[in-house]
Amino acid sequence: MTLAYFLLLPLIAVVIAPLLSPKKATYLSSFAFLLPFFAILYGLFGGCLGKVHLASFSPPIGEFYLNFDFISHAFGLTICIVSAMVALFALPYMKHRFEEMERNAESEFRKYIFLYNLYAASMLWLVYSGNLVLLYVFLELTLITAFLLIYSYGYGNRKWVGLLYFVWCAVAGVLVLAGIVILAFENNSLALVVLMQGGKVSIVAWAFIFAGMIIELPVLGPHVWLPWAHAEAPTPVSALLSPLTVGLAGYVLLRIALIDYSFIETYRMPILCYAIFSSIYAGFSVFKQTDFKRLLAYSTVSQMGYMLVALCLGPFGLIAVVIQYMSHAFGKSILFASAGGIITVHHGLRDLTKMGGLHESIPAISNAAVVGFLNLGGILTVGMLGEFFILRGVVDTFLRPESPSFLGWTGSLPIILAVIFMFILSVWYGFWTIRKVFYGKPKDTKRLEISRYFYVPLFIIGIVSVLLLFPPLSTALIQGLNAITGLGLGGAMP
Amino acid sequence: MIIDDWLVFLLLFLAPVLSSIPIALVYKSDKWTEKLPYLSVFGIFISVLMSLYIFTSFPENQQYAYTWIPDLGINFVLITDYLSCYMGVITAVIAFFIAIYGLDYMKGDYRPSWYWFFFNLFTASMLLVVYSDNLFLLFVGWEGLGAASWGLIGHWFRDDDEIAYVGVPKRKVGPLELSWPPSFGGWRAISTIRFGDVPMFLAIAAIWVLAGNLNISEINWETLFLNIGAAGTIILLVCFLMGLFTKSAQVPFSEWLMTAMTGPTTVSALLHSATMVAAGAFVFIKISWYIKPWELHHVPGLEIVYIIALFIGLISGLYGALAGSGMLERKVLLAASTMSSIGLMFAVGAASFWIHEEIAGINLALLVAFWYMAVHAFAKASLFLVSGHLIHATHSRFSCGGFEFGKRMKIPFIVTIIATTFLVGIPPLTAYWVKSAMDKSMEILWHEHHMLLPIILLILTSLIYSAIMARFLSLNFVRGEKPEHEHLEGGGLMKLGYTMMVSVLFILLYLIFTNAETKGFVDAGYASVSFAVGAGALIAYVIAVYVPRLKVFSRVPGTFFNDRMYLPFLNDYIMPKTGFFISRIVQNYGNRGIDGFFNTRVIPGLFGIISKGIRAIQTGYLKSYVKIVLGLVMVFLIVESLWGLGL
Repeated sequence: MTLAYFLLLPLIAVVIAPLLSPKKATYLSSFAFLLPFFAILYGLFGGCLGKVHLASFSPPIGEFYLNFDFISHAFGLTICIVSAMVALFALPYMKHRFEEMERNAESEFRKYIFLYNLYAASMLWLVYSGNLVLLYVFLELTLITAFLLIYSYGYGNRKWVGLLYFVWCAVAGVLVLAGIVILAFENNSLALVVLMQGGKVSIVAWAFIFAGMIIELPVLGPHVWLPWAHAEAPTPVSALLSPLTVGLAGYVLLRIALIDYSFIETYRMPILCYAIFSSIYAGFSVFKQTDFKRLLAYSTVSQMGYMLVALCLGPFGLIAVVIQYMSHAFGKSILFASAGGIITVHHGLRDLTKMGGLHESIPAISNAAVVGFLNLGGILTVGMLGEFFILRGVVDTFLRPESPSFLGWTGSLPIILAVIFMFILSVWYGFWTIRKVFYGKPKDTKRLEISRYFYVPLFIIGIVSVLLLFPPLSTALIQGLNAITGLGLGGAMP
Repeated sequence: MIIDDWLVFLLLFLAPVLSSIPIALVYKSDKWTEKLPYLSVFGIFISVLMSLYIFTSFPENQQYAYTWIPDLGINFVLITDYLSCYMGVITAVIAFFIAIYGLDYMKGDYRPSWYWFFFNLFTASMLLVVYSDNLFLLFVGWEGLGAASWGLIGHWFRDDDEIAYVGVPKRKVGPLELSWPPSFGGWRAISTIRFGDVPMFLAIAAIWVLAGNLNISEINWETLFLNIGAAGTIILLVCFLMGLFTKSAQVPFSEWLMTAMTGPTTVSALLHSATMVAAGAFVFIKISWYIKPWELHHVPGLEIVYIIALFIGLISGLYGALAGSGMLERKVLLAASTMSSIGLMFAVGAASFWIHEEIAGINLALLVAFWYMAVHAFAKASLFLVSGHLIHATHSRFSCGGFEFGKRMKIPFIVTIIATTFLVGIPPLTAYWVKSAMDKSMEILWHEHHMLLPIILLILTSLIYSAIMARFLSLNFVRGEKPEHEHLEGGGLMKLGYTMMVSVLFILLYLIFTNAETKGFVDAGYASVSFAVGAGALIAYVIAVYVPRLKVFSRVPGTFFNDRMYLPFLNDYIMPKTGFFISRIVQNYGNRGIDGFFNTRVIPGLFGIISKGIRAIQTGYLKSYVKIVLGLVMVFLIVESLWGLGL
């Protein structure tokens, strides 16, 4: 399992990067995530599956190990490429931010790059954790590092926002921990490999984990922390927080669902309706935002609704959870980074009412944003597969006569229409935003010379998102996911 | 075969895309963006060669499958059936001619990289839609069409040139300003198209699950429909048709096509007349080809679907023709007529349900629909290209130019005469034979199925259509006002483009007389009803050339038609008002409310009160602690005594 060694690289970078100059540290961090990215890509084809033992604990904790399967690979792939590219983007951005905050760029960058790498690495390790305790540890580690980043380098009343984020996610963490503890006593082990062999998740444990994760995800109601945190965080952090971190709640739910799907089956309708409503609600909220980053944050809430919808839709829905995470991560990291580009180039411009015609001055960033919204809308990118699997999930669950929740065509029409509208809304707000921000009469007609760091990484993410739709990448990825028990055609569940 | 089939297809789809990437990368350099369009055009030329190669050398009705996600049945499955072979050549050739024209037309534009990238992406996507047999692959192409159309309509994103607008600036009707800038046109196009695409995607997913196959030619449609019952059939097919209707700008989704005229004229010619909007009708013909609805009269619900398609087509046909009769903007008039033509394609395609007649093994109605699409594509693309040249020559998007002007613009004048007369069904020109077979199809509906309305609507549409095409000719070359500006020099490549385009109409005429399957068209052309309709079209044409504008009608109903019967109110007023109303409620009450409760007011406030209360207790004075203890004792005693009393 050479892949395990590649996973160590980000951890090494955590230690070494703070010792270097900003530019070298950035390149080191970027490579520390790019190499695992290629290793995982190789793993997709080579079928790099299995586990790497780390430590053993007495019951009810069980074995700590690294878990290599296609779900982890898919999430890991996304985390690596996004973290690597955002690290590059952050170089000019954070320098600018430190100048703005009137701090010493060199020494602040050391602190920043340490936290950044730790943050990204803990997400990467989270998805490869083979034990729920280990997973929880990394979940909390992401929370703490992200909190510190917002608290130190955010915008506006960053301390308040940082605390707000911390409190909400700490509540989520505690709920999940409670769920995990119950789970531990029910099954006498928390190693996934044991749990997958007929492990049981009682309603109470499920309820705790579910409650925690819908705060973290988030859906309507608890979603109020997200616009604050994502809008006020320094943009590279937003570009990890929104695409990667919140979606990890979906990852946790997916893992639990693969152990025991009964909770979702029992409460399928209420959860599904809630998720669709939440997604549409957030979609409508987007139109009324005046701050570009806040707008993107609401779009995240809407997209996370997709993930929860997908979770309710049986084996193909569960594949869709994975794909949706990837496509949202690609799209949203591009978009947050382009928002960051605008902030830097146009002197802190975030107000949508003052935007318009920005394509004239920053065409490269504008075009990157288009790719971002294409990802969210599921047009010509990997998101298309995500939407397709969600729709297939709807048909599988409600329209197949063999399915236990068969409703018939007329009976399921409201659900069908709601899901369709949910997808339509994403494209509507996406292209509406593009027009409002980038097109129309230009206010600044001079084309600005901007650093390549602001757009080349974004296009690389964009290219990856397009390549993942086509062979050979999609072939390897989807076939691999499909072969996992519980997903796709490997779905033992009805 | 000289080259392997996979290589042919790879070149066909990838050559346009790859050849436009260099120009996209050098967008900053004026020197290179002037030269590289030739490379992009060359890429399309390769596609032309490949499509011709497929047409001539590939066996008919052969499926070519290459793996993508084989476990799930998602594959690159391409098919060389009658429709694909012809339509592939048509698409590639039209794209190539327009690209040549575009070399001249787009010279000196402010973002050539954007234009050529999306133009070529569009061509590749359209070819993918045409050749694809796998529904998912088709949908990939389909989304490519949508994205490219968005990019190209909004090409002049600055919205600073009045010549790119649609509608008269600052003209208000009620609360609406009836004028639309390019960036708005793009947004509306993608939002409307997406409104239909997602239901279509759902229908594809449903077919995937319930039929267990995604290849159009392999699906057992009869079993599928019988399994899902009447309601299932109707919902499934209506969802599928939503994608086709929105893409083809049928009523009530037609507004986007009108505002799409904000794009460069080459775009209007390729996307919004010849290929993309026709793709809706094309896919409809293609699936009907394999569903074989005329054999499925026992399937419940299917007839309702075909009736819906028939009437939406006919109503769109009439609506488009009527709306065009009041319009003065060159391109918008052509757009309305395009919508009308595509309506007729849908209508006659849908008539296949009731028509059993076959020529050379092909259903008459589907064959007519397809051939009408081919004729329309070349004729309408020529007209668009001419109007683009006229816009350059007169600096006006409104029709203008008298006979004097026409004499000096001989080639465009002649091309317009040929394109219009060949299109409207004047005997014995190309479209006449196709239209005759169309009349015959609707006649069958009347005689055998007692549906009189279709043929009435068809004839009415044909006559008005003929008149508006003649009106276009007349207002621009014969009896229009004298243009304010005239720049007649240059435009060599433009002339070459539309001359080549229009000359294909002669080839089509030749093919109609020589091909085995179109023999039925010729027979239908000798029928008396067809001849009467043809004569009517000729009369309407001649009258409209002489009297292009009637003063009596110019206010009512002229303005009403020009304003597209106020359909813009649906798109520009009702929809956005409703949407923003919901958004406002969601934001002002929902988000602010929840935010206030959790984050800023209620809960933080409660914490404040509690912590203040606790701090207030900790005063440090013994007296106050004694008071608290005594108070608690009192409360305890009261509770105890009440409890003792049995309360």
